[in-house]
Amino acid sequence: MKDGQEFPPAAFQVDARTVADYLKAVGEDNGLYENTGLVPPMAVAALSLKALISAISMPPGTIHVSQEFEFTDTVKTEDTLTSHARVSRVQARGKLHLITVETRVLNQESKPVLTGKTGFILPTP
Amino acid sequence: MMSTSFELKEGSPLPKITKNITQDNINLYAKASGDFNPIHVDADYARKTPLGGTVAHGMIILAYISQMLTGAFGQRWLTSGKLNVRFRAPARPGDVITVSGSIRRIERGDGHQTIDCEVLCRNQNDEPVITGEAKVKVK
Repeated sequence: MKDGQEFPPAAFQVDARTVADYLKAVGEDNGLYENTGLVPPMAVAALSLKALISAISMPPGTIHVSQEFEFTDTVKTEDTLTSHARVSRVQARGKLHLITVETRVLNQESKPVLTGKTGFILPTP
Repeated sequence: MMSTSFELKEGSPLPKITKNITQDNINLYAKASGDFNPIHVDADYARKTPLGGTVAHGMIILAYISQMLTGAFGQRWLTSGKLNVRFRAPARPGDVITVSGSIRRIERGDGHQTIDCEVLCRNQNDEPVITGEAKVKVK
């Protein structure tokens, strides 16, 4: 993995069933999500990370050490989202690599809804 | 001025929440997020790793922080929230996580205020699981 490396954009939707499972899993009962079609921002974040982790093929022993998110617009269940990710930093520390990946999620109008920076520590193969 | 269930001033605590970590919720989260890493869902696999057992996805704990901030700031959190955290320790099934925070600073801008908060998740042994900061713009 190298600085500046980009991953193929990944498109996804968050359907109502996934949102219901998510709300139940995290015990979220805020009325904001009742019959509004609004998707919790951290559900969007989780699905964008899923796309990222699939693309990177994380080796066993990878640790998620830090996370930044900025939410810039609401997401609704019918929205189609596209996640763009690039490696913004690679640092070798002994037998470990510290990798920072920047993510940007856009909706179907190409409007950003979420940006993020994820820090991983990966063991050296 | 935004209406909140707590006093919007520097030093005010945010309404805290407490969560029980269960393997059932971890499994359900794996289904919802698509993250079936065996360290979260396969007890036999996880037992043989240095962690010694399954651990919750870090993103579950972040979801708890987001839940606290949604409760505090409503839809403003969904459209202007910023979160910056470090994962300090894993959360395991059986753990009880307390999510708390407080307002560090309020910056007045053009037509809005930026609320800068400290956020913290601790387990039942008072060990930090996540530390960090959150910002949100309110009118």
